Amino acid sequence: MKSRNVLERVSTFKDLIKSIFNFDEVHLVYKKSFESDWGPVTNERKLTSRDLTIAGLTLNPGTEFYDGLTYNDSIILALSDSSFMGILLGQKISGGVFSDSESITLQLLMRVFESESKSYLSQRKEKELIFNLNEKILQLNSLIDTGMELSRFDRRDILFELALERACALMNSSSALLTIMDNTSHITTQITFPLGTDPAGILTNQFKIESLFTFNNLKYVITLSEKESRSGATSFSDLDQILLDAISKQVYVVIENEFLQQQIVLKQRYEQELSVAASIQQQIIPDKLPDIKGYDIAGINIPSREVGGDYYDCINLGKGKFALIMADVSGKGIAAALLVNTLNAALYSYLEFDFPLTEMTDKLNKLIYKCSPIDKFITFFIAVLDTANGTLDVVNAGHNPVLLLRTDGNVDLINAGGVGLGMFDLGIPYSGQKFTMNSGDKLFLYTDGIPEAMNITQDEYSDERMTNFLKSHSGLSAGQFIKEIVDDVKSHSGTAEQSDDITALYIIRKE
Amino acid sequence: MNGEFIINSELVNNDTLIMRTDGYINNVGGEKIVDEYTQYEPQGVNRVVIDLQKSKVVNSIGVSYLIEVIERLSRTNGKMIFTNLDPTIEKTFRIMGLFQFAEKAESLESAMIA
Repeated sequence: MKSRNVLERVSTFKDLIKSIFNFDEVHLVYKKSFESDWGPVTNERKLTSRDLTIAGLTLNPGTEFYDGLTYNDSIILALSDSSFMGILLGQKISGGVFSDSESITLQLLMRVFESESKSYLSQRKEKELIFNLNEKILQLNSLIDTGMELSRFDRRDILFELALERACALMNSSSALLTIMDNTSHITTQITFPLGTDPAGILTNQFKIESLFTFNNLKYVITLSEKESRSGATSFSDLDQILLDAISKQVYVVIENEFLQQQIVLKQRYEQELSVAASIQQQIIPDKLPDIKGYDIAGINIPSREVGGDYYDCINLGKGKFALIMADVSGKGIAAALLVNTLNAALYSYLEFDFPLTEMTDKLNKLIYKCSPIDKFITFFIAVLDTANGTLDVVNAGHNPVLLLRTDGNVDLINAGGVGLGMFDLGIPYSGQKFTMNSGDKLFLYTDGIPEAMNITQDEYSDERMTNFLKSHSGLSAGQFIKEIVDDVKSHSGTAEQSDDITALYIIRKE
Repeated sequence: MNGEFIINSELVNNDTLIMRTDGYINNVGGEKIVDEYTQYEPQGVNRVVIDLQKSKVVNSIGVSYLIEVIERLSRTNGKMIFTNLDPTIEKTFRIMGLFQFAEKAESLESAMIA
């Protein structure tokens, strides 16, 4: 009811009155407000069930308040916190009557007590105000400190535990729960503070608040339950919700920063990889194509942002023969670049031995199949040109149809005669083809970076447009043609990012 | 810290009560600290050393109970000393004004000398 300190003071006052005035009984009663019931101040006796009736602010004399005892008089003292103290006076031991001077003395003592109570209550109120003010300062400080501390943690488990601890302390909560759910509302993680608290108990508590956020398809919910006070559990305030939302945001920021940091590291690693892949690729792309008497030849490779593994070459085989090669590795990055490097090395080796093209392609297939990852293969085109007579000995292993533009404007398609290198090793032979380039004919080798180049509306450059361009620009030199078809592709793509390597090889039989 | 709040108490030299707390000093924890002190108070304890090594979190309700013990000690010119304070708790106590009426020590040993 009252603090022990107050009880002590009241007991002392009671004993003082008893001894000064020689009453046989002095009892003190108290009530918190005018509407409340009277109750004993000390634990000497318990009140009986009889009512303490109050007429105005005076008790009826003669009323029995305790079994067998009647009281001679009573005094009600209104205290400064709107509570009341009642003093029930028994008989004087001497049996005498309560004199006027004694009455005045008693009233003076009452005034002193009242004044002292007022002072005590005032001090207590001041302490409470100071406590509350300090608590507000503490909350603000804790919020700032929590933000800084949370940002230091890159381990999620410590981060979450700390956030729950701070939230509990900040909002005087009995316990806290963090629930993480996936996008099907399946709970993936639950962390409580204090450890071992039953999450169900927190979630079903009548006094609770929550704050939530979503990040990367995961939902994070922080729940606080049972706001504490000296008089028991109470509901959380609007300020508590604001503070919890603030902590929740701080956790979100830390998670987001951690994610972005990871992305930066991954991006840097990836760019490093791409740089290595690009340098591998650029080593095998020829700086300069050989001069072929009677022919005009030009080629180009424009890598995309992500290195794609395109490869082209024109290899002098001697005796007026040249191998024209176009290849495209599936996938991107270092793996693709390394694979095309393997192809390049193997090609140079096999070409030394003058294998029939179909046999050589079969050998390349076995090699690439053996050393490539399961998801990697190479579309490959090789044509051995005999410059003396213009014959083309061709194998197309899964590559785009190569275009042979005749002088009459017709285009022969040199289609695939087998699957890409490394796709299967089933012993199925590759089929070769033979063509002849006549004077004025043009051979156009390319990778799908040209016909599949897209603009911002996702429209492809297309095989049709490419073929029409070939036909309509047949009068250009090889170098000029290459330049202009690249310009045309770029004109089509516009501001769209180049998604694949652009690679082409163009040869004109002049004589 | 596990869920349950635990106090291990030890009376030293008949006048010093050492309380080692383990757990969250909240309403429950704070009340236990007051109850523990109340048990020993009649024995003439005038110094209370609270070792908070295993308590890393305190809320303001817990602080109010600590203040209550400090006030009761002050009536008999006694004192309270906190040791092994977590930096966050130390800051909390500082802001709440506890160090105006109580002391802190780096360790239990230095608290006993204080």
